[in-house]
Amino acid sequence: MSYSTSQQTKNISIFKTLPFHLLIFAVLIVIWELTNLYGFEDQIQADMIAPRPTNIFLAMLDIFIIDKTVWKHLISTFQKALLGASIGTAIGMGLAIAATLSLTFRKYIKPWIILMEATPRIAVGPIFVALLGFGLWSAVALAALVAFFGPFVNTFQGLMEVDEEAEEMFRSLGASRFQTFWKLRFASAMELISAGWKLATASAFGGALVAEFIQASEGMGVLIAQYVIMITMDYAFAGLLSVTIFGFILFKIMDYFDYRLIFWKNDYLLLKESEKRRKKAGIV
Amino acid sequence: MKPLSFLISFLKYSLSFIIVLALWEAYARYGGLNELFLPRPSKIGAKLYSLFVKVEVIEQGTIYWHFYATLAQMSIGFAYGITIGTTLAVLAAFNETFRRYVAPYAVVFNVTPGIAVLPLIIAWFGFGWESKIALATLVCFFPPFINTLTGLLKKNDEAIELFQTIGATQSQYFWKQQLPNALPEIFAGLKLAITTALLGTIVAQFGSATEGVGILMQRFAFRLDMAGSFASLVTMAIMGLLVFTVAEVMDRRIVFWRDAKGLERVSRKKQQKLSANG
Repeated sequence: MSYSTSQQTKNISIFKTLPFHLLIFAVLIVIWELTNLYGFEDQIQADMIAPRPTNIFLAMLDIFIIDKTVWKHLISTFQKALLGASIGTAIGMGLAIAATLSLTFRKYIKPWIILMEATPRIAVGPIFVALLGFGLWSAVALAALVAFFGPFVNTFQGLMEVDEEAEEMFRSLGASRFQTFWKLRFASAMELISAGWKLATASAFGGALVAEFIQASEGMGVLIAQYVIMITMDYAFAGLLSVTIFGFILFKIMDYFDYRLIFWKNDYLLLKESEKRRKKAGIV
Repeated sequence: MKPLSFLISFLKYSLSFIIVLALWEAYARYGGLNELFLPRPSKIGAKLYSLFVKVEVIEQGTIYWHFYATLAQMSIGFAYGITIGTTLAVLAAFNETFRRYVAPYAVVFNVTPGIAVLPLIIAWFGFGWESKIALATLVCFFPPFINTLTGLLKKNDEAIELFQTIGATQSQYFWKQQLPNALPEIFAGLKLAITTALLGTIVAQFGSATEGVGILMQRFAFRLDMAGSFASLVTMAIMGLLVFTVAEVMDRRIVFWRDAKGLERVSRKKQQKLSANG
């Protein structure tokens, strides 16, 4: 007897499942469209709650190709989020490295970290806006503040978990402290660290958007809020969808970056890299 | 831990806080820190005193009322979020078709920053409590979903074999192996969700609200009453610590088998119960 739950997912090729995925998606869209057309007594109310997919599509066309309004805002939000994420990551990783290297530092930073973890950090938004103004920097500061935590925790955890046997080997080979840190600790923590980068990027987007909602002159947060205030919900949905799409693309790029960077987790890349290094060292 | 050593370590930790606060205060007093930017700690303390002890009425309510409103909105949103998240996860874990065709939507949903939906949510649900609850639900449903799903799908071949050999039924397998096996993950998801629910509530209050700590913070900041906004930040930190501690304690009580001490405590209790029964 085998238990029917939690059995492994069968390997079915994507070409077999894709038509079903598309079919389900199409059915959902059609249902949505029909609900909007016939499901409500009042057309204005219908467009308010669930604008028609065709209208959303037209709005996408408009803001991307015809009117091109979205680009300016999209670039602004991405700029804020990415700047914030990089600053936050630098601070978070710096703190984590300091905490792994020094016991005293680790001890005294701990209560602050717990405090930071428990406070909803995004709530500092209005203070940052009041301090740094409505422009780029208040959003970057908020994005950095919410972003720093993911890289901090992941880097710290990764650096603390060391394979003891490998450490012993490094010691017996007479590796210097820096070599042990860089080639052993950092390299083995790399997977967690890059997961931390992704966390940072995701939360930095949240931070940038919140700062824009509070007060800003440009950015996707402002654009979506404006569309909602003008009760053009199809445009608001289009704005939301563009954030999703570009966020998704960004994550895919990061995934690829990860895959190349941590080459030792993939047999094929490992083989290629070792061949390259062998050639470089003159051992062929 | 002995009470004395606990006291000492507590003092040691609070010392670092006190030193930072004292430096801040001294700098504000003698170094000419612009009070418009960073109010000195004593002013924040005075504001906290007038809010909590003198029970000053601000924005149609005392701080306790705002505290309660935020906490209540958060709890309702959290309850909805975990219900939706875990239900979807259980469905996805037990039904492969569902997992294959519905779960991807949850993932796409997660890529959208939930916070970006805020204006739409305000348009749909209005300025009252509903919009805060809705945003809290939206931002917190994903961690329970993904963690419950991975937890339930985690498979221990040896355990399955054991359960098969002793002829356990499907439901026994679920209750005694699969669920306990997944609980640490589920609770990690809940802990993540409870803090994100608080965050969602506060962000929704920034959007528009008449009550809640988030709106207090915003009103104070826009009046450039920085002492007031830092005081509301401290209030939020207290709320966050409270929520986090509750989640942590629940986690340690329920998932007792995670660490050796808890396991020992519970097994001793069960032993006593067994021997008392004969």
